[in-house]
Amino acid sequence: MNEDSFFSNDWMETQRKYWESWIAMNRKAMGLEGGSQTAPWESALEHWWSAVSPAAPAASKQFMERMMEQGKSFFKMAETFLPSAGGGGDGWSAFSKALEDMQKGFMGGLGGGGDDKNAMHRMLAFWELPLDNWQRMTSSMSPLFPGDLLRNMPHDGMQEQVDRLLSAPGLGYTREEQGAYQDLIRRSIDYQKALQEYSAFYSKLGVKAVERMRAYMQDLISSGKTIDSARAIYDDWVNCCEAVYAEEVSTPAYAQLHGKLINSQMALKARMSEMVDGQLGALNMPTRTEIRTLQDRLQETRRENKKLSHGLKVLQAQVEALASGQPLAPGARVKTHNVPRAALIAGPAESKGAAPKKPAAKPTTK
Amino acid sequence: MIPIDIRPDKLTQEMLDYTRKLGKGMENLLNADKIDTGVSPKQAVYKEDKLVLYRYDTPAGVTPRPVPLLVIYALVNRPYMTDIQEDRSTIKGLLATGQDVYLIDWGYPDGADRCLTLDDYLNGYVDRCVDFICESHGLEQINILGICQGGVFSLMYTSMHQDKVKNLVTMVTPVDFQTPGNLLSNWVQAMDIDLAVDTMGNVPGELLNWTFLSLKPFALAGQKYVNMVDVLEDADKVKNFLRMEKWIFDSPDQAGETFRQFSKDFYQKNGLINGGVVIGDYEIDLKNLTCPLLNVFALQDHLVPPAASQAMKGLVGSTDYTENPFPGGHIGIYVSGKAQKEVTPAIGKWLNDRS
Repeated sequence: MNEDSFFSNDWMETQRKYWESWIAMNRKAMGLEGGSQTAPWESALEHWWSAVSPAAPAASKQFMERMMEQGKSFFKMAETFLPSAGGGGDGWSAFSKALEDMQKGFMGGLGGGGDDKNAMHRMLAFWELPLDNWQRMTSSMSPLFPGDLLRNMPHDGMQEQVDRLLSAPGLGYTREEQGAYQDLIRRSIDYQKALQEYSAFYSKLGVKAVERMRAYMQDLISSGKTIDSARAIYDDWVNCCEAVYAEEVSTPAYAQLHGKLINSQMALKARMSEMVDGQLGALNMPTRTEIRTLQDRLQETRRENKKLSHGLKVLQAQVEALASGQPLAPGARVKTHNVPRAALIAGPAESKGAAPKKPAAKPTTK
Repeated sequence: MIPIDIRPDKLTQEMLDYTRKLGKGMENLLNADKIDTGVSPKQAVYKEDKLVLYRYDTPAGVTPRPVPLLVIYALVNRPYMTDIQEDRSTIKGLLATGQDVYLIDWGYPDGADRCLTLDDYLNGYVDRCVDFICESHGLEQINILGICQGGVFSLMYTSMHQDKVKNLVTMVTPVDFQTPGNLLSNWVQAMDIDLAVDTMGNVPGELLNWTFLSLKPFALAGQKYVNMVDVLEDADKVKNFLRMEKWIFDSPDQAGETFRQFSKDFYQKNGLINGGVVIGDYEIDLKNLTCPLLNVFALQDHLVPPAASQAMKGLVGSTDYTENPFPGGHIGIYVSGKAQKEVTPAIGKWLNDRS
C-alpha cells in the first residue's frame, strides 16, 4: 500500500499496534480480573473510527459512517452474548439476561413502562431499518414533508378536544378555506396515528424475534453446535428477524396496517395538493388539475392520430394494390414503418461462414 | 451450556479484519470506474416517445437464426439487468445460441406519460415494435421473450396478436398474483390504488424501491452491506457489487394509469385467473395463445413464487408447453454463473428447435 492510498503504511502499522494492545488488554481481563466493561467492543470501534475519520476523504465519509454503523450492530450483538458480558458467573444466566434486556428494550415501545412517543429510539438500532426506509422514502418524495415531520404531533389524550375543534363549521367569507385547513389537520392526525400503529407493529416484532433467537439457541444446544464469531451471531439474528418479519407481514392484519399507512399518507398529500392548486390559481399560475386535464386530452388526441395514421396506411396499401391489379386479401398485413429496402437486414443465406457486421436499420422516430 | 464460543481475542481479530477490509476497500471504492449499463454492443433501430428498440450486434462467428427474438422487460426496473456484466449476461448467452436479439428499453416515464395505459403499451408500443421487426426481416412472425412483468405483457400481447408471434418464452412471470406467500400481493389488497394514482400521478420509483426493500429489510438494507465488506478488497467484485446496487435503486417512475390498471386488475382482482382484464378493445383470454410456450421460473423466487408462474399451464391454449424450473432466485436466474450455463442455452435450444 503506497503513501498516496487511503491509509498509509505507517498509519496501518499504528492501527495494528492499537489492536494488538487491545487483544492483550482483553486477554488479561477475560473473566478473571477487572470489572465488566460497558460496551467495550463498540467503544473500540468507535475509538478506531474517531482516529480514522479525519483522514477519510469527504466523499467517502458518509459511506464509511454507514458501514461503521453496520459493523457496530454486529459487534454489539456479539458483545451482548459474550459470556463475560453479564459480569461473569454462569454463561447461561448472562445469555438469558441479554435476551431479557433486548425484550425489555422492545417492550418499552409497547408502553410497558416506557415513553411511547420515543419507542423507536429505544429499540435496538437494527429494528429501525424498516421504518427508517419508510421515512427516507417519504422524505425523498416530498422535501416539504419529511418522513418524521409529524413524529411528535400530539393526539393521545387530546383527541376529544381536537375532534371538537375540527368539527366546528367554518363561518363567513373564508368558510371554504377554513374547512380545507380543518380537513388537512384531520388527515395529518390520521396519518400520524397510522404511522404510530406501524411503529408499534415493529415493537411487537422485536419481542418475537428475541423469542425466536432464544429458541434457535436452544436448538443449537440440542444439536451440540456452537457459534464462534460475531459475524455468525449477526447472521443468525438477521435470519431470526427475517423469519419473524416474513410471518407477520404476510397476515391480513398487516395488510390492513400497511394499507392504512399508505392510504392516510396519500389522503394527506391529496389535500395538500388541492390547497397548493388553490394558491396557484389565485396567483393566476397553471395548476396541477389543469395540466392533468390537458395531458388527458393530448393523450386521447395522440391515440386517435395514431389510429387514423395506421388506417391511412392500410388504405394507401389497398389503393396501391388495386392500382397494380393485385388487390390485397382481406385482413392482409400491410407495412406501416416504411423501412427503406436498402436497410433491410440480410437473411441467413447471405451470411454463411463468418457473419459480417450487418448494417443497422435506419432509426425511425415517430 | 450456551452455544456461543467467542473469545475476546478472536473477536478482536474479527474486528481488525473488518476494519482492515474497510480501509483497503475504500481505495477500491474511490477508484471504481463509472458504472456502465449493459456490456453487449447494440444499435438503436426504432424510437417512439421515450421507447428505444435496440438490436444487439451478432457476435463474430455466429450465424443468426432466421426468426428474431424480441425481449420485453418489466416497467418496474431497467432492462440492463439482462446484460449486466461480461460473465453474467443473459443477452450474451442468447446471442451465442444464434438468436437475433432485439430489446425494448422503455426509458424513464415522466409527468407527460401519466396517461399511458396498458393498451398504449401493448397494442401501441409493443405492437409497433413487432411490426418494425417483422417488416425489417420480411417476416410475418417473430419470437418473444418476456421477463417478469414483461412476461405478463408478452402473454397478453400474444393472446391478442397470436398471428404475429411464432414462439413465446416467459421468465419468472406471474400469472396467479394471489398465491400463498406472495407478500406484494398481500400488501396491495388494502391499498386504495385510485387514491394513490389520483394523488401522485406517476408512481415514484422511490416508492417501488421501498416496497422491494421491505420484502427483506434486514438482509437488503443491513446485512448486504456487512457482506459487502468481504468483497471490498477485490476491485472487480466491488465493481460488480456497484453495478447491482445501481440497478436495484434505478427504478423508473411508473406511468400512473398503467400502474392503476396493473395493480387493480392483477394484484387485487387476479384478473388472469378470474377473468375480466380488458386491454383496449380486447378482453384477455389466454386460451387464444396457441404458439409454443416455454415457461422458465426460479424455485427460490420470493417475488414470483413458482406456483404463481406455473398457473399459466392451465390457462393457455398452447399444446406445446414446457416448464424449465431453475434452482435460484428472482435475480439469480439472470446473474448467477449457474444460470448462464443452464438457462440461456436451454432457451436458445428450445427456440432453435422451433424456428
